[in-house]
Amino acid sequence: MKNYNLKLKIFRFCIVIFTFAFCILNLGGVAAVSMDSSSFRIESASINDAAGNKTSDNYKLSDTLGQLAAGEFSSTGYIIKAGFQYLHSIIPFRFSISDISINFGTLMPNTPATGTTELTVYFGAAGEYQVTATELGKLRTLNEANNIPDTNCNGGADTCTDSQAKVWTSSTAYGFGYGMTGNDIPSDFINSTYYRYFADKNLSEAPQIVMSSPNVGKNRQATMTMKANISNVQAAGSYQTVINFVATPSY
Amino acid sequence: MKNYNLKLKIFRFCIVIFTFAFCILNLSEANAQQVSLAISPPLIQTVIKPGKAILIAYSLENSGDPTILTARVVSFEPKDNFGNIRLKDRAEGPVRFSLDNAELSLDQPFFLKTKASEQLLLRIRVPEGAPEGDYYYSLLAETTPAIGREGIGSAQAKATIAANILVTISHSGTIEIKPKIVLFQLLSKMKWKIFDSLTEVPLVLVLENQGKNLIRPEGKITLRGLLGTSADYEIVPKNILAESQRLVQATPSAEFSKQPISLALSGFFLGPYKLSANINFGENSPNIFASTSFFAFPFKLVAGIILVTIITVFIIKRFSADED
Repeated sequence: MKNYNLKLKIFRFCIVIFTFAFCILNLGGVAAVSMDSSSFRIESASINDAAGNKTSDNYKLSDTLGQLAAGEFSSTGYIIKAGFQYLHSIIPFRFSISDISINFGTLMPNTPATGTTELTVYFGAAGEYQVTATELGKLRTLNEANNIPDTNCNGGADTCTDSQAKVWTSSTAYGFGYGMTGNDIPSDFINSTYYRYFADKNLSEAPQIVMSSPNVGKNRQATMTMKANISNVQAAGSYQTVINFVATPSY
Repeated sequence: MKNYNLKLKIFRFCIVIFTFAFCILNLSEANAQQVSLAISPPLIQTVIKPGKAILIAYSLENSGDPTILTARVVSFEPKDNFGNIRLKDRAEGPVRFSLDNAELSLDQPFFLKTKASEQLLLRIRVPEGAPEGDYYYSLLAETTPAIGREGIGSAQAKATIAANILVTISHSGTIEIKPKIVLFQLLSKMKWKIFDSLTEVPLVLVLENQGKNLIRPEGKITLRGLLGTSADYEIVPKNILAESQRLVQATPSAEFSKQPISLALSGFFLGPYKLSANINFGENSPNIFASTSFFAFPFKLVAGIILVTIITVFIIKRFSADED
């Protein structure tokens, strides 16, 4: 009986410890009031995050853009409309990339190497955002003597472009490209075998949209899979490039 | 002594539990280097006279790993009529931008540690004699990409977050409002605007701004049925930039279907319906109007009933024949 009581005490103690640990480690998870409509979403009923100064020749206004104060400010010479349709812009526009160094390891001929990163957009305002991607030069060696060309995907009927994804499954189709899965991705990424190549800023190619939505978005997530496949004649070296992701809210 | 050993065991057990809980609950916070930036406000619209300047305080927050950022301003233009934009390489037009921060300036990198934020005091100045018109800009905050590791293939990600600035330069404060409805159309697979009663009726409304200043539509789309029944759908006010077109959406619009549409009418429709759009652009602005119509009939329902009736009659006749 004594043994049973002891076990019971240990069990209770563990429950307390577990609860305590859970609370401590997850308290940051938060408690804003959400107000929804079909056309907008207000994430908190009381926001005092966007204080700012507005000045003109005649006056200087310091305000806290919280509570009911978002809207139109005017004086002689100017009018400022701070806000997405005045009522949503105090909610920040947030963009995250889960991994900014996408490694392919040691590239082996005819063995496609992939790396992934997750893009997340948080936009509680009126919706409408876009994320574009562009490569700042080809995947190339540090001395820029050699590069891995952009992929054509499987080729033939499955020849992709920087704006049209096609199937890339062949191990003898070489190049560098990317595929998308998840929320708000272009419709040509039908499944995870579909790839495009990146628009190249050095060639003045227009950045292509990889995520966009006309709707209110909260934690919209998409996974980008970058893929490189080289042939036997590809010169040895450390091939690198920079991919520029630009997240923009609408107007 | 026995009691002491027991306490020691409990202590060890708790340590294990703590470690386990910590790992389980925090593993997602990852080892990879990440970027997480937030900017507020994401949109500023201002009407300003030449010779005036304003100061806007932007809040830039870093929730990811420590990073080096650079702030700069570039021009943008509408890319399509869905609200997407195309950034240019530099700021064009007469508007001048600078940072009023003591230690920061545009195009100069600065460090932002984890969970830190920086207030960017952006001064927007319109010189005397600047021509009237609209000028559209984006304030960009961009990270500096890391250098890749030797010996492996890699792609380094550079993150850029933007906030838009819509500047209207006007001497008098008068805004040119020249709107036009270029498309008010039902998307129908058939030549005639006939829909099944049970399917969604998709509507597209595209407005064109033929003026030199941005405008924002207000108003409603009204659906009228046979017996005088009607329903109103409010236009979602969104800016239409100068000399551009934009697909206008109407509530209920929280989740649109995959194709870009203005409104998806759903319910049970029967007979002829008329849809009209009545749009204005604020006080003392002209109203613009467009209308269209469609016919709804429960084709699928009727086909189902006919099919069920035929099968039932067939079965009854078959059984009757068997009994005979």
